[in-house]
Amino acid sequence: MDGTFHRLRVAATRAETERATSLVFEVPEGLRETFRWKAGQHVTLRFHLGGEEVRRPYSVSDKPEGGRLRVTVKRYRGGLVSNHVNDRVAAGDVVEVMPPFGGFHLDPDPRARRTYYFFGAGSGITPLFAMIGSVLASEPYSAARLAYGNVDAGSVIFLEDLARMEEGSDGRLRVRHVLSSASRASSPAPWRRGRIDAECVADFINEHPPYAQDTRYYVCGPGGMNTAVRRALLDIDVPDTRIRMEGYGPVEPPDDSVAGVAAEATVRLGGATLTVPVAAGQTVLAATRAADETPPYSCESGVCGACRARLRRGRIHLRARMALTDADISRGAILTCQAIPITPRVTVEYD
Amino acid sequence: MPILPVEAYTSREWFDREQERIFSRTWACAGLAEDVAEPGQHVSVQAGLNNIFVVMGRDRRLRAFHNICRHRGTQLLRAVGKTQRAIVCPYHDWTYDLEGRLISVPDRERQFPGVDLDCVSLKKASVDLWRGMLWVHPDENAGSIMDWFGEVEPHLGPHEVDELAEYPKGRTEHTIKANWKIVVENYIDGYHLAHLHSGTLGMYDHSRIESGFVGPHFAFWEPLAPDYAENVEKNSPYPLVIPAEHAGAWVPMLFPGIGLAETESTWSLFHVNPISPDRTRVVIRTRVATASSWAFARQAARSRRFWTRRVSGKFEGHGDDPMASGDFMAEDIYACEQQQRSLRSPYFEHGPSSVGEAGVREHQELVRRWVEG
Repeated sequence: MDGTFHRLRVAATRAETERATSLVFEVPEGLRETFRWKAGQHVTLRFHLGGEEVRRPYSVSDKPEGGRLRVTVKRYRGGLVSNHVNDRVAAGDVVEVMPPFGGFHLDPDPRARRTYYFFGAGSGITPLFAMIGSVLASEPYSAARLAYGNVDAGSVIFLEDLARMEEGSDGRLRVRHVLSSASRASSPAPWRRGRIDAECVADFINEHPPYAQDTRYYVCGPGGMNTAVRRALLDIDVPDTRIRMEGYGPVEPPDDSVAGVAAEATVRLGGATLTVPVAAGQTVLAATRAADETPPYSCESGVCGACRARLRRGRIHLRARMALTDADISRGAILTCQAIPITPRVTVEYD
Repeated sequence: MPILPVEAYTSREWFDREQERIFSRTWACAGLAEDVAEPGQHVSVQAGLNNIFVVMGRDRRLRAFHNICRHRGTQLLRAVGKTQRAIVCPYHDWTYDLEGRLISVPDRERQFPGVDLDCVSLKKASVDLWRGMLWVHPDENAGSIMDWFGEVEPHLGPHEVDELAEYPKGRTEHTIKANWKIVVENYIDGYHLAHLHSGTLGMYDHSRIESGFVGPHFAFWEPLAPDYAENVEKNSPYPLVIPAEHAGAWVPMLFPGIGLAETESTWSLFHVNPISPDRTRVVIRTRVATASSWAFARQAARSRRFWTRRVSGKFEGHGDDPMASGDFMAEDIYACEQQQRSLRSPYFEHGPSSVGEAGVREHQELVRRWVEG
């Protein structure tokens, strides 16, 4: 991945709901290739707020096929960046943006004939919306089914866009709203009330059985929903290899139960090998940066996976691990921004 | 000059080669989608040399496997039925899950000491649903079914096949004493329609046929005869399955031997299964509009007058004479069997082929290429 930030002008903003705003960036001709994205990938935005540098990953919320580089940011109570974007950023402003990357993406194949099941909640719709657009644009033989959870109709991001896409899709797209506190007069009437839980997943698939038998499942919601959806899918014998997930939003509190020890870390980075001291409780990423090196990183909260590396020797504790699956971890993958050595010598190798 | 020799229609050697090189290497129809409609249901189908079964998992996704136990090769599942989450071989109770993985072997430690059984899996095949039909391909990596049907699809009818319902009495099976290619050639011969079926298929306008091969598939369309078209809402024998302004008949022959008859009032599958060089089984299944029996009765009553004047046997005669039956299927079977019989005569030779029979020649050419290839 390309870890450089580029200064991009905000071409337009659009209020999606009362609490979510989209920013569309102008990508100069010379950066088109650099900023080419796959549906589902994210960009990292960097701001300097209150004298502090802050970075946040946001999914590109438009399809790559003719879409524009756009992020959609939902406000969180006390969220430093999300409130700044919603309150302050306007068309014409310049924002620092790192080029798109990320392993949660959908690569359309024009000959393929698939059924895509999308499970999303809240701002988890953003990568899924790009993916749905991509399937409709690039896979004429495939179908997409979306179960989309929100609090009420007023908080549904892309409500009208999705309705219009469904209408014009000749049955290829079906959108089903799941609202947790919908009033009786809710418009549109939800497909069901409540949350996207195991029962909802099973009913959704029973009511929308695969149209094509090559099925794919993409899940993007808060951590708890992702776990529930995955478990529900595995429970009805969906092979794990067909499921792709990404978490978002306020991260679960980090696991600080392990103190860590002072250690010497051998870091293999871009062909060079260096040795850096790590203080007790310090992360491998922080120690490497303190040595004036420039390892890849983005969100510093274990969500995005930009700082991913492989543990070659020693043991570490991961404070958070949202960007990794159990299978990744069993193969030695770590997130250096969350990795605290618990043995005096560790060796990590960046991808 | 005939494209295929007489032996192509009579010899075991040709038959075996077709089974191997055509029917074992193409997408095969395994029935209608509703045959496997609930988790646990399965069907098996013989596709050339391969027996393949299709089973639906609890995620409502279809899986297809070669119907061969990885132990001694016993066929695992019989024609149709219901299984739970596992597939058990009747011979030694080897058990597989719905991903095909071997999950249980009785008395494993004693009977297979030191043998690694963890990587033993059923051999996968490909499966998909297309146009309301189940399709299987023996190759796990066959790719998208649209690589095979994508090009011909726009030449098929505007029917929403998934929304039609099977009419159980419309399911018939016919064992025809003729080679499968004779049956297929008869299906795609546009020249015979106005003649063999002069009394039975007059509701279509054979002078306006549009037909031809699209890749390996034969596309065919003809409009309704003008007097039928004029009042088709009243005169259709069943409730219409497509809007009256689109009424017509799409009668493609998909390769190899999967005919469809998509008309204004019915949708039928005409599945040609080779049994031996001179025996072919045709399975016909029909879907009609999803409507009440009252709606069907009313439509039958409204259209009765039109049809009594319209359908007759080609010849006068007794009811058991196919040429007097007023049934176009009986007429076709009669013609196919007569033709097969003549192939045995030392005096048989191919005659000139008409413009309307171009499809027949192209089908022979297609078969020749696949068999030689």
